[in-house]
Amino acid sequence: MDRRNFLKVVAAGATVVAVSPSLIRGNLYAADGKLYVGYEKAQIVDAAGVPIKASALEKEVTYIFNYPYASTPCMLINLPESAEQEVALKSEMGEEYIWKNGVGKDRTIVAYVAICAHQLTHPTPNDSFIQYVPKNKPTMAYGNSGIIVCSAHLSAYDARAGAKVLAGAASQPLAAVVLEHADDDTLWAVGILGADKFQDYFRAFKPEFKQFYSGVAEAKRLVSISAKTVKLTEFSKELIQY
Amino acid sequence: MKKFLMVLTLSVLVVSSIQASDKVNNEHRSMLMKDMRTMFEAMEQIQRGGLYSSTEDMKLGVKKLQGTLKTLEGEEVKWILPKDQKYAYQFAQKTASMLHLYSDDMVTSIDAGRMDDALEDYSQLLKQCTSCHVRIRNW
Repeated sequence: MDRRNFLKVVAAGATVVAVSPSLIRGNLYAADGKLYVGYEKAQIVDAAGVPIKASALEKEVTYIFNYPYASTPCMLINLPESAEQEVALKSEMGEEYIWKNGVGKDRTIVAYVAICAHQLTHPTPNDSFIQYVPKNKPTMAYGNSGIIVCSAHLSAYDARAGAKVLAGAASQPLAAVVLEHADDDTLWAVGILGADKFQDYFRAFKPEFKQFYSGVAEAKRLVSISAKTVKLTEFSKELIQY
Repeated sequence: MKKFLMVLTLSVLVVSSIQASDKVNNEHRSMLMKDMRTMFEAMEQIQRGGLYSSTEDMKLGVKKLQGTLKTLEGEEVKWILPKDQKYAYQFAQKTASMLHLYSDDMVTSIDAGRMDDALEDYSQLLKQCTSCHVRIRNW
């Protein structure tokens, strides 16, 4: 490439970024079926820092990891059956997007931000009102189980279908964590799909961040390299499920 | 005759224990309802303090509010919940702990001169109140 062509390529690239700065950050908010923010790729590891193998995840157990921020809890679930594919979803602002599918050998592994879209209920080290309810356990929130339930105000989300709202006051699906399943059976979080409520969450729970994360700055720290995962029963002292 | 007297005595005992239990329940209930009214007054006082720039009023409101939370934190809260919502008493307990958290933070913010944060805490306190009332009234 000669000097003139090189400058043309640089100028064209700069123009594209200037017109749409979101391309740099990976933001894809648009009416083209996507609502996605890419964050630093983080490997899902256990409490000892050992990478978790997708095939080793227990079925229908809620695992918790914080992503993309140090204080934003997410649920990792190995469903009893394959997740649906190409699910069309809509945010409360009317933006449409597509949740692709689960990952793993049988597409049974899914992950969602565990902050309820209704009133931001989320698991804390003290308690959790939001969790996956296994198929054999009844819930007051919905006729069938095998779903995610926020027992604060009984919102129910379809764990197999991008956390689509099934019942309750929630006005949009839970934001989904986009996972990658590597050839060595490890799992990686790479971004958030859907309308997250992170800013509302950061504004609302400042005192809680002081209690659990030594302040807001630490709570807002972006997760890097790996995300530690534990069972919800280990993450929260008390689980409340109706 | 002996059998009849035994049944009669037993019935009297059962009825009086039910009445005693109802009395205790009613006392609990009226005490908790009184606390609810105090909470309402406390919230009003905090709001008034915030709007009229009286940090003293805000702190007094916080003190009044925190004085009522004990009733929400125990299982006694079941007595004021509607029958179909009694199972949700843990939600009320969680609300009480959040009210404690935000009201403590409000005092810290006032003392540090961060009135924005203190007023944000007031918003969150109000949100906790409405969140719980929405829940127990099935709104």
